[in-house]
Amino acid sequence: MIYNYLRNFTPFIFLLLSIQLVSAQAFRIEGKIAEKETGLPLPGATIQAKESSQATITDRNGHFSLSVSPGDLIEIKFLGFRSKELMVDESSSFLDIHLEEDRQLIYEVVVTGALGIRRASRELGVGTQVVDNDYLTQGKQVNPLTALTSKVAGLRVNMYDSKVDPEIRIIMRGSRSLNRQANAPMYVVDGVPVPDINRLNPNDIESITVLKGANAAALYGSDGVNGALMITTKQGSGGNEKVTFAHTTSFSQVFLLPQAQNQFGQGQNRVYSPLQSESWGPRFDGTMRDFGPKLPDGTQPQLLYAAPSKDNRLDLFQTGIQIQNDVSFSGGNETNTYFLSIQDVRISGILPGDESSRTGIRLNGSRKFGRLRTLYNANYVRFSKSIAPDGPWLSVYTSPANIDYPQMKNWQDASSIANPANYFTDQLKNPFFLLDNYRQNSDQSVLSGKLEWDYEITPWLSAIYRLGYHSKKDEKRNTTGKFEAKGKRNVNGAVTDISEDFERINGDLILNFDHTFGKVTTNMILGQNFRTDRTRNVSVGATNLLLPDLFNTDARVGELAATSGSSLSQYRSLSVYGELIAGYDQFLFLTLTGRNDWVSVLHPNNRSYFYPGVSTSLILHEAIPALQENETLTFAKVFASWNKTGNVTLDPYKLNNPYTQINGFPFGNLVGFTPGSAYPNPDIQPEFVTSYEFGTQLSFFKHRLHLESSYVFSDSEGQIFNSTLSRATGYSSAIVNAGRLTNRIIEVSLSGDILVDANRKLNLGLQFSKTNNRVEELYEGNSFNIFRQSYAIVGEPYPSLLVSDYKRDPQGRIVINEKTGYPVLAEQETLLGTMVPPYQLGLNGSFSYKNLSIGFQAESRWGGWLYSEIIPRQYTAGTHPRTVTFNREPFVYPNSAIENSDGSFTENTSVISPGDKAFWDYEGKIQVNTAAKSDFFKLREVNVTYRLPEKMLSKQKLFSAASITAFGNNLIIIRHKDNDHGDPEYLYNATDGYVSFRQVPPYRSYGFNLNFEF
Amino acid sequence: MKRIKYIRPIVILLLAVFFQSCNGFLDVNENPNAPVSENLKLEAKLPAALLATVNQESGQLNLLGAFWGGYWGTTAEGANLYFHQKNYNGPGLRDVRDGYPVWETSYTNLLYYHIIREQAGEEGSLFYLGITKIMQGWHFLRLVDIYNNVPFDEALQGTGNVTPAYEPGSEVYRKSIDLITSGMADIRNAPAGLSPGNADLLFKGNSRLWLRFANTVKLRALLRQSEVAPVSYIQQEIGVIQSEGSGFLSEGENALIQPGYMASTGKMNPLWETYYRNVEGVETALHQDIRPTQYLLDRYMEREDPRVDQLYVAINGTFRGVRFGDPVVNMEQYGRSVTSSFKGPAENSGQPAGIFKSATQASVLMTSSESLFLQAEAAHRGWISQSAEILYQKAIAESMKYLGVSLSDSETYMTHPMVAYQGTLTQLITQKWLALNTISSIEAWSDYRRLGLPEFPNSRSVNNPDVRPNRLMYPETERMTNLENVLAQGSDDILSSRIWWQK
Repeated sequence: MIYNYLRNFTPFIFLLLSIQLVSAQAFRIEGKIAEKETGLPLPGATIQAKESSQATITDRNGHFSLSVSPGDLIEIKFLGFRSKELMVDESSSFLDIHLEEDRQLIYEVVVTGALGIRRASRELGVGTQVVDNDYLTQGKQVNPLTALTSKVAGLRVNMYDSKVDPEIRIIMRGSRSLNRQANAPMYVVDGVPVPDINRLNPNDIESITVLKGANAAALYGSDGVNGALMITTKQGSGGNEKVTFAHTTSFSQVFLLPQAQNQFGQGQNRVYSPLQSESWGPRFDGTMRDFGPKLPDGTQPQLLYAAPSKDNRLDLFQTGIQIQNDVSFSGGNETNTYFLSIQDVRISGILPGDESSRTGIRLNGSRKFGRLRTLYNANYVRFSKSIAPDGPWLSVYTSPANIDYPQMKNWQDASSIANPANYFTDQLKNPFFLLDNYRQNSDQSVLSGKLEWDYEITPWLSAIYRLGYHSKKDEKRNTTGKFEAKGKRNVNGAVTDISEDFERINGDLILNFDHTFGKVTTNMILGQNFRTDRTRNVSVGATNLLLPDLFNTDARVGELAATSGSSLSQYRSLSVYGELIAGYDQFLFLTLTGRNDWVSVLHPNNRSYFYPGVSTSLILHEAIPALQENETLTFAKVFASWNKTGNVTLDPYKLNNPYTQINGFPFGNLVGFTPGSAYPNPDIQPEFVTSYEFGTQLSFFKHRLHLESSYVFSDSEGQIFNSTLSRATGYSSAIVNAGRLTNRIIEVSLSGDILVDANRKLNLGLQFSKTNNRVEELYEGNSFNIFRQSYAIVGEPYPSLLVSDYKRDPQGRIVINEKTGYPVLAEQETLLGTMVPPYQLGLNGSFSYKNLSIGFQAESRWGGWLYSEIIPRQYTAGTHPRTVTFNREPFVYPNSAIENSDGSFTENTSVISPGDKAFWDYEGKIQVNTAAKSDFFKLREVNVTYRLPEKMLSKQKLFSAASITAFGNNLIIIRHKDNDHGDPEYLYNATDGYVSFRQVPPYRSYGFNLNFEF
Repeated sequence: MKRIKYIRPIVILLLAVFFQSCNGFLDVNENPNAPVSENLKLEAKLPAALLATVNQESGQLNLLGAFWGGYWGTTAEGANLYFHQKNYNGPGLRDVRDGYPVWETSYTNLLYYHIIREQAGEEGSLFYLGITKIMQGWHFLRLVDIYNNVPFDEALQGTGNVTPAYEPGSEVYRKSIDLITSGMADIRNAPAGLSPGNADLLFKGNSRLWLRFANTVKLRALLRQSEVAPVSYIQQEIGVIQSEGSGFLSEGENALIQPGYMASTGKMNPLWETYYRNVEGVETALHQDIRPTQYLLDRYMEREDPRVDQLYVAINGTFRGVRFGDPVVNMEQYGRSVTSSFKGPAENSGQPAGIFKSATQASVLMTSSESLFLQAEAAHRGWISQSAEILYQKAIAESMKYLGVSLSDSETYMTHPMVAYQGTLTQLITQKWLALNTISSIEAWSDYRRLGLPEFPNSRSVNNPDVRPNRLMYPETERMTNLENVLAQGSDDILSSRIWWQK
């Protein structure tokens, strides 16, 4: 038996362990204890015969056998579940018992630990949090990562664009790596590590155990350095046949557009021009004006020169619709389990024409053959999307406020002002033409699955072999329709066909030993792992197609596109690992782990590395007898851990500089190779993260109030990252082993059942974390550029925002250049602060009254800065509100000064700043104008569910449960007053706090869900 | 402990299986997609470096020089184009995202030569070695012209020196000239028959032309210092050139680069593809909106210059230009359809025009005309002993020839009162300016900064007529990575800071 933990520490337990009372009539019963909801076995449940005081605990597979007398009453207990009593007699040879979870006792849950092995949370010396299906799916999100947002302390999830397949960035307990791509936790589905879970159906997920920090995932090695999301998918269970059907429809609408001025329209230099796209013309005056060039029939289109009261930019967008249908079948018996689900999701986005669909099938099952248990699951997902590349939104937010977009939709009509040949300007394209004519299509097939053989060799030794497979095939096709016109209005037809294949095979052989020495229980795991990742990308493109509607590279003019080509890549690793857990008297636990990895991406001399870990936990209220009687404090656990985890965040083939042919090479047989711009480093070593953590879990007032808090420290050294270099070195970046980052994190979770009675239940929860992240050392010097304006600076959090700023005199007045009236730039950039909000607070609550329940989810993050690239573009285009603050007239810069020749300053009262386009364009390039605090409060989810009462259900036989839910996402947002840029959560290119000019504003959504069980 | 007994053999078995499979399993880190330096011979690298140089010269530098050297403006429709060049927005041009990365491109090109230079040094390939030194000299001189103080000795070392110190522009100038001199010696010492041949896109391994080209580049660098450098240094370096004896690029010796352009996107002559027509013959965006300044056209027209007809499309029998940086959208006067665009075969009865001859025409690194103008100026200053007048006339004739003007028209032009040699620097530089238009425009801006000639009008986007751009600010990428060295150079203001060779 692996996990010999006992549930009740009453004195007679000692008897159980040592004395075998065998009465004359005694016989043995066997059975299995499982969770009612999921059918998963419950290891370590106590089975006790009331009369004889005989007791035993279930093994890893939930099995037990016990000697009883006929008519004995046995009690089955498992903390966190409602206890069960039943009478046994000789006919009950095999008992299949299902326990129901007791939601009040959330601290004694079973978690999915490393290697997918289920453990009682009391044994764990590290921070974990379990998110179950109900909680995960209450917002009816399509992506499980979005569904996790603000539900786990220390976990930061950012959904950062508004496409029909949004990108998501997830970071646990702060950044440990200067390599900004390498801060995501690993994903493990049913014991198999997979590269991403974007395509996983949240409804298939039984629970997600979040193992926080490197400590928790030591056994998974390098990938687990940022923690792990251990995902357990649903299994069928015996005696619990169920068919469910769910339908969700939701609608989404754009909001939080960046501010724009609506006083001045198209033109330059305050003179109207019908052909200009920029808003530097005269003030809107409500007259009809010539608009754009003459149409083919010679008529001159006109447009009202006034901004409508409604923001005209909203007309680019539509209401997005998402329709989701789910069916699942589950069931099983003693030897088989079965779970089948089918999901179909159709999304049409907030940009017309953007759509995606996802159809997924999952089959999970198991079968027992004596001592061999086989498990399998397979998940196939077909995902298709069609989106417009960046462009339409950019065109709109740099265009004047009076453009009437509904008139721009029928661009195919050659006589329309929307036609690209007639569009009012050729400096920008009609956004609706961009939407229709430029498409990026993708068809993805994701197949993942596992096979697992679990053989019990002896009661104290079992062997598991688990083979995981994950493949993703992405067939992409990008097209640009040919539109023949003059000059800028001409569009070359183009097509690119891209095929991206990824395949991972992962195998684990695990030996599991356990033994009990009196009060000491021990369990040891020895394992070996291999992994191979293969990637193959092929791209074929043509940038000049012959015919407008024939998208084939063969029907082209000239050569294939320079991007045509293929690439292969392979990553392999091998590992051996071990874990030893010792428990004393079920209240003190010690875990030792060790792992050695060999990875293919490093030089053979550097590719082997070992890393150890240790953790411990103590259940106080069981260790200290005095606490057992305590009415206030009903559960107390303290835990601590230390470990050091090796990591290699390097892609294959990075030890040498690859040469490529650019600038048109090869020209016939003339080749010309140039090196890459990253300085290679063949001597890269693994990096190591040392971390420790201590924390406590407390329950008060009969488990009505729970508090969990931890302090985490991590120290990452010898970071592998692509450091930006001065271009004078010849290179733009270098891969180095340098830099040290520390994180000091406080996490607090508080959850309370404020109100519990027969009809009503009110629960409120709070998750708080503060991350104090600091760059301790760098490769060379005191600062390193990470991405554009984000830096790593010694002594500051990572990344920090450093921006160009005005030169100010000692009184803080802005210094003006006497000759030009332009502000003078400060010699040095200004450090504004961290781009990651260090404070994060999640709030959630649920209230139920009889069959009605209401839930909400809110989150606030504060203390960080963001930088938006949209702003300088708006300044240049004259759409930014600040460009009208002085009515576009020359003005004396408020609170400004002139620098005298002796270095002193006098107040500026006479030097005039021009206030024209040239001036405001310059202002837009002073980056401090582009930054803002990223503080926010968001009400992310509200949902109301009504469950049909038993009474109504009992009148029919069709279904056994039914509910209806109405929900809304992103309902309220409060931002820092200086942030009129957009969504403070938006990120670009795996940065933090960096908003791209490409990013489309966010949306809010609302919808309903119907749920039936049969 | 019988259970423990089992553990050991199991572990041993496990490890045995493991290390068995470890052998070779992990050796998959050889890049199957791209060659590395060791796989490539010198002739696989040099063409790419030379083409990168000429691309920068005829692309990036040419555009900046054309706007700031008085050649180009934009149509009324294109009033918003190249706005940061028009309003001298220093921070805008140094911007990491939307800036004008002359620094970055220059050092990348320098690196290409650096790597070839190291390999040539190891292999003892003197001809290649010489070429890389000359071309590095070329790029460093250009860098100083744009940024003044720049890293030289400490540059190009990868992680060997991540914060290269800057050296004064004057130092870099001297060192670059010395580097070119040293490269010339290598080429002279290269054994015959071991030339790079076709990999030398510039002169096909002709050492004489390389030496002449190198001397010309040095002469250009010396003339750049005409207003500041001590006479003794100039004389000494002129002496080096003269005693070397190869002379300068002369008539018919244009430094052209022809990799074998073909009519396909990305493989055409970049000037053609950017400023004239795409592969399908569609007019490019910049052909629509780039226009000569009226000042430039007036200078051609007042001299009855036959080149203007080769260069530009006439509007109702005359040539109409624009005003650089004009913020006013005046369609009647400066619209696309009423101003003279670049002329190419499509507007020239299918015949090659002045600058735009064909999609596969060679790119120009340096014209013989420029070389002759440089010699003429040197003669005018008494640095060399030839006749300034003859060199001046040859220089104009070479320009006429390159732009496709007939010999007779060219000779007639030479007799025009404004053209006939007067022996003034103003006349000489004005003619040089007319000859380098859109071909080596960066030289025009440099001559303006050096001599204030010709006196073309300032950008109309600037509210103060006295301010002109003297340089680019150090790029943001450099501030991000090498700030201390940037700050140590003092002000890099685009308007008030000056290049060392400016008076």
